[in-house]
Amino acid sequence: MLTSKSRVVRSAALIAGAALALSACGGGGGDGEGQTGQIFADCDTNPNECNSVPADQLQDGGEVTFAMEKNIENWNITSAEGNVLDSAMAIKTVLPYTFYTKPDLSVAMNEDLLESAEMVSEDPQVIEYKIKQDAAWSDGTPISAEDFIYNWKVQNGTDCPDCAPASTAGYDQVKSVEGSDNGKTVTVTFTKPFTDWQKMWGSGEPMYPAHIAAEHGDINTPKGLASSYEWLGKNVPDYSGNAFKIDKWENNVALTLVPNENYWGDKPNLGRVVFRVITDAAQEPTALQNGEVNVIYPQPQVDLVNQIKNIPNVSSHIGLGLTWEHFDFNLDNKFLAEEPLRDALFTAVDRQGLIDKTVGQFTDKVKPLNSHNFVPQQDGYQDVVSEFGHGTGDVEAAKKILTDAGYTLKGDQLVDPDGTAIPAMRIRYTTGNQIRKDQCELFAQAARELGVKVNVQPTDDLGGTLVEGDYDIMVFAWVMSPFPYSGGIQLWHSESESNFGGYKNAQVDKLLTEAASETDKQTANQKLNEANRIMAEDAYVLPLYQKPTFIAAYDNIGNIRNNSTLDTPTYNIAQWGLRAE
Amino acid sequence: MLAYALRRLLISVPILIASTFIVFIGGALTANPLNQLQARNPPPPPRVLELERQRLNLDEPLLERYWNWLIGLFQGDFGPSVHSNLDLGSEVIARFGVTFRLIFLAMLIALILAIIVGVISAVKQYTKLDYTFTFFGFLFLAMPSFWFAILLKEAGISFNNAVGEQVLYTIGDSSVYVAGGAWAEFTDVLGHMVLPTISLALLSFAAWSRFQRASMLEVLNSDYVRLARAKGLRRGKVMRKHALRTALIPLTTVTALDLGAIISGAVVTENVYQWRGAGSFLLESIRNDDVYAIQAWLLISATFIILFNLVADLLYGVLDPRIRYA
Repeated sequence: MLTSKSRVVRSAALIAGAALALSACGGGGGDGEGQTGQIFADCDTNPNECNSVPADQLQDGGEVTFAMEKNIENWNITSAEGNVLDSAMAIKTVLPYTFYTKPDLSVAMNEDLLESAEMVSEDPQVIEYKIKQDAAWSDGTPISAEDFIYNWKVQNGTDCPDCAPASTAGYDQVKSVEGSDNGKTVTVTFTKPFTDWQKMWGSGEPMYPAHIAAEHGDINTPKGLASSYEWLGKNVPDYSGNAFKIDKWENNVALTLVPNENYWGDKPNLGRVVFRVITDAAQEPTALQNGEVNVIYPQPQVDLVNQIKNIPNVSSHIGLGLTWEHFDFNLDNKFLAEEPLRDALFTAVDRQGLIDKTVGQFTDKVKPLNSHNFVPQQDGYQDVVSEFGHGTGDVEAAKKILTDAGYTLKGDQLVDPDGTAIPAMRIRYTTGNQIRKDQCELFAQAARELGVKVNVQPTDDLGGTLVEGDYDIMVFAWVMSPFPYSGGIQLWHSESESNFGGYKNAQVDKLLTEAASETDKQTANQKLNEANRIMAEDAYVLPLYQKPTFIAAYDNIGNIRNNSTLDTPTYNIAQWGLRAE
Repeated sequence: MLAYALRRLLISVPILIASTFIVFIGGALTANPLNQLQARNPPPPPRVLELERQRLNLDEPLLERYWNWLIGLFQGDFGPSVHSNLDLGSEVIARFGVTFRLIFLAMLIALILAIIVGVISAVKQYTKLDYTFTFFGFLFLAMPSFWFAILLKEAGISFNNAVGEQVLYTIGDSSVYVAGGAWAEFTDVLGHMVLPTISLALLSFAAWSRFQRASMLEVLNSDYVRLARAKGLRRGKVMRKHALRTALIPLTTVTALDLGAIISGAVVTENVYQWRGAGSFLLESIRNDDVYAIQAWLLISATFIILFNLVADLLYGVLDPRIRYA
């Protein structure tokens, strides 16, 4: 009886174990077949043209489903609430814009919309946009200066104080926006020069139709502007000023685009693009493997990247974008207000080691970042960090900085020149972000070698923690802009609300302001880098690395490629198509 | 019976209010609804944050906020969400609709299977069949629900590959576009339901089948069942009319009490299978520090749990005349 029972249990265990093992391994695609997916093979060397397929080698029509990680909660992507990457990725495909960013991070004019966009005067700065004569909204209303004027008014913070735009940068420096030539020429005059003028009405802040807004509020009054702006956020666009239009929106499920039949430019290749809401990135690989989505664009993690590599007929690419991780000090902490301690802590941190132990596990592309305002792919990039030895992990050099400044070690405890022991500090990271947690542990380990105890503590309220200054050291990410000059003021200026750690340096403020008000980009770069160098020397923020981006798509999709900027891979959605058999 | 039901309902009201108060205070003190906005890059202008603070009633004292929320409920207003376009009332009800579609079928399957397996196990105690059921029961009990759900997805994909077409789906409760008419739509919905339903059902089935087995064994060994057999009643009749009916009472209690656990389990299942139900609503609300949305979820789920407990109490009466006549 005992033998019989054991046999039954053993057999059942074997069956169950085998079933589970088979099911767990079954979806892998087998033998790394996915390695043959090579459509992104030349994207590192040729980011703007890789996976190119001429239109005559693409099917006419077809459908692509793209995984979108957030539900669309607000349709106005220029508003503070609607300015969400996933929403923008989908919605800007139905809106007109002046400039966009290519995968190599260069800024390009939208030639479908504009004939030209030029600075016709430097003092005062005047920009002249010439809109294509046949550019029109899907209802036939021409795209004109009226649209520029409306979108300026709702974003300048003055004409509509209750409009709640994502940013007023640039628009608040505009003196006037005037139309001529039946509204097809737009003349924008600035009160003071704005270096990043190409960002305005660009793909990050596309235009909404003034004539439709006017149906929902008097766009010549602050109240009417506010109600029309709110209406645009509440209602699914049934208008289009781009190659696609919205066909269907199922809340929490999917957004479907179809070609805008009244589009004046080249017609899209695909007959339908579906943005499917999948709010958990961990579920995207199986959805891709099962063919329920054809493209995914999640934040890469080791497991996820490896899982994708095993899916047959799927290619993937890791790119380096504009989002960058960094350690920030809170200068309200009186011990961290002392520059030598900050200098020593940053010197003791080994950035390369930190990369190797985190994101380096799935890509060797990530390198330490040495600027607070540019990434290496941008023209203005200059290494302003290395000369100060920060991020090298040189503990001996760090100790020497402290000794020279009068700090001493009492046992394992660092003591400042006044004889006060440096108290334990808190380094904080976003709850659930394992990579950041590891980074914090490595920071704490480096600090321990200098005699500083650092406790690692998560926060589920990153925004609140930063605003309230409830940290000593924080690791988080900023998104660098292809238009870095106004961004520099937002992040580092003494008076800026986003300068959370309370860094103040009058010389840096002056240089940042000048850089943002230049008409010559080379001079602006020079000033921004000069400010950046002073800031690096002051050891306030230590840039770590550019965060990798990750795209995976079926091999039969042509012209799709990674775009690590805020323009995302949908920047050329009209050119996507299915390869002809 | 009616008076008893009404009394139970009335007792539930203060419990419900107390639970909303505790959750509201806890949520309001720990969550920052402006978190997402404050962490934006570029940062929104200060005026925007001020407007949002006013819209979310964050400028009001805590108790006043709770009181206004409570009063608003009677007018069908669940309070403002961090997403200004979201009507929390209609959203949370729609989401619970999705969840109950999943839960109802899963519970039904789990209950039927649990009763059958529990009864067979009890009747065939210490046989190969009993040991096999016992093994699988404990196996499903031991498996973490998210892990089991992920394994099932992989199995589903393997099945699709084996049959050469997409029969089973791993995300959502239906496809965005289905060609082929009503039958195709029906099979599409069915294909989306299979994996999450199995995932949710097997976990409940495991516990309930063990419970039913124990309960059935207890009844089978009781004097009145032996007496019924001794009187010469047929075995099948004794099983159905005397043993099973009595043995179902404890399972009724467990099923009703487990509703809360099943709703919690559905949070994981919905996330893995990307059903946009109440579970994903709760997760999103927590991620967004959306205090009023969390409140709305709590209110609805607590109400259902109280109602189900009441139904369980009433079912006792149906199943056991001694309770009915007491």
